[in-house]
Amino acid sequence: MTSVYLVDDHSLFLTGVRAELSDEFDVLGVSGDVDGAIDEIRAHKPDVVLVDVHMPGGGGVAVVTSISETNPGIRFLALSVSDAPEDVIAMIRAGCRGYVTKSISPSELADAIRRVDSGDAVFSPSLAGFVLEAFSKAVPIEEDPELDQLTPREKEVLRQIARGYQYKQVARRLDISTKTVETHVSAVLRKLQLSNRHELARWASDRRIV
Amino acid sequence: MTSGHKTIDWPFLRSVDKRMLTGVAGGIGERLGIHPIYVRAAFLSAMLAGGVGLIAYVLASLIVPEAKGPPESHSATTRQKIGIGAMFLAGMLLFQGIGLWFGPATWPIVLVLFGLAIAIDTSGFNYEQSLEGVVGSSRRPWWLVLGGLAMMIAGLAFVLTSLDGLQSVGALVIATILTLVGFVIVGGPWFWSLIEDLGTERRARIRSEERAEMAAHLHDSVLQSLALIQRTEDPKKMVTLARAQERDLRAWLYNPEAADEQTLRGALGAAATRVEEAHDVPVTVVVVGDDELPPAAQKALVGAATETMMNAAQHSGAAKVSVFAEATGDDVEVFITDQGCGFDPENVEADRKGITESIRGRMSRNGGTVTIDSSSGVGTEVHLTMPGGTL
Repeated sequence: MTSVYLVDDHSLFLTGVRAELSDEFDVLGVSGDVDGAIDEIRAHKPDVVLVDVHMPGGGGVAVVTSISETNPGIRFLALSVSDAPEDVIAMIRAGCRGYVTKSISPSELADAIRRVDSGDAVFSPSLAGFVLEAFSKAVPIEEDPELDQLTPREKEVLRQIARGYQYKQVARRLDISTKTVETHVSAVLRKLQLSNRHELARWASDRRIV
Repeated sequence: MTSGHKTIDWPFLRSVDKRMLTGVAGGIGERLGIHPIYVRAAFLSAMLAGGVGLIAYVLASLIVPEAKGPPESHSATTRQKIGIGAMFLAGMLLFQGIGLWFGPATWPIVLVLFGLAIAIDTSGFNYEQSLEGVVGSSRRPWWLVLGGLAMMIAGLAFVLTSLDGLQSVGALVIATILTLVGFVIVGGPWFWSLIEDLGTERRARIRSEERAEMAAHLHDSVLQSLALIQRTEDPKKMVTLARAQERDLRAWLYNPEAADEQTLRGALGAAATRVEEAHDVPVTVVVVGDDELPPAAQKALVGAATETMMNAAQHSGAAKVSVFAEATGDDVEVFITDQGCGFDPENVEADRKGITESIRGRMSRNGGTVTIDSSSGVGTEVHLTMPGGTL
């Protein structure tokens, strides 16, 4: 059973999510503050950490950054009420494998956790839209084309996700395997984390994450 | 000694937090327990003595290391202060005695410098705090400020008489400028603090206005929705209310342009809210880019999209409807997707055919196209394309 740890400073939300997940996952613990969460995650070593973006004491970015240094095997899924681009980009660049908003349904959340656990990236329709938007503007030629542009196939996959299709449906619609969809999405995640595109770099530097 | 470092017990260290140039004067002031302004005045005075002050300052800057932490703060007693002052005077007299002296104006200038130092120090101006704009009002008696000013003016008068040029217009100009400079230096800190206070007050007022505006907005939107939710028995209705409110608040917080129904983003968001309210089915909207369409074309596109959303929410039985609009290429495309029962576009009931035609009609009149991809049991996707910029 996949072990999960929850970090969120809203106790009501924490209780709700814990109850929803406890049937399918082994919830190792919950924490409402950044420092406490870092210590506990290091002690418990969960498979997946669900982490909120806005928290006192450095926020989710601080948790993801410190844990990634010591325990690179632990995977993160950002869970937030905010879908502001700078929050999304800050969490993804800190090392989250996905970003979902708190209005996600319990079954979709469980699915997202399993996906992150197996090493895939999780893109909600709005995150897919955001990535398309961020990568749609023209880039100066001197930048790294491998990282700063999406391939037509990656764009097509993101468009399908933005239209509300699950990975399996995307695969069927584009006549490719689900594994290929996952590969494309992981490649996009990597570009999102490493690209120097100035919109991404600006958002990142605003949040002092690079 | 086991460590290879040679530790010298410096009489003082260069100050880090009380520096104007290199922290020499600040460090000496900290060590002696007097305000660095007097040390600075002493250095300037000694500078007049054949440049001794300058040489001493530069050497100290180069040789003496910086302090590592904040110094233990202490204040010299009056007796110590008198002693320090006497030593300074003795030093100056010594310079004069050995000939490191340049003229009759020197002593008056020393008087000006120290008058200035006393005036500035006692006006409460604090270099360390000036950045934060925290400027205390006179912490020491007013007669010290006046005394310093008097010393300064007397010194200036001596300087000018010693220049032998009081009759000439040039000297008058110099006198005026010197006096003005003196007043700017003395009165500047006070004036600066006044400006800072005004700025702080203005910021506070703006903040309270923003707070009032936010309170008004929350009152009209969030509080009303929460009240409605509490009065609602139907869980589906509750979800709809919560979603509509969430969309509204999100737009207000993160994306002010989304609230503007003139834009494609804003118009689709508003349409989605109407559909949700009418049919209690969540509609997610993702918009990429926001190219300008001619108003008629945009109206037709949004109208057709709204009609399609209504259809999907009403007939498909799907748990949610997804809308994805992309306005980054030449055309503006909108996809309305549901994973409901689906239908055969070739073989629809008469009433639904009408709606389909109204969607097609709206689009085709503005040069747009409609593609319907639907299969029974899988769901429906309606693809609206409106050419951009050509109409």
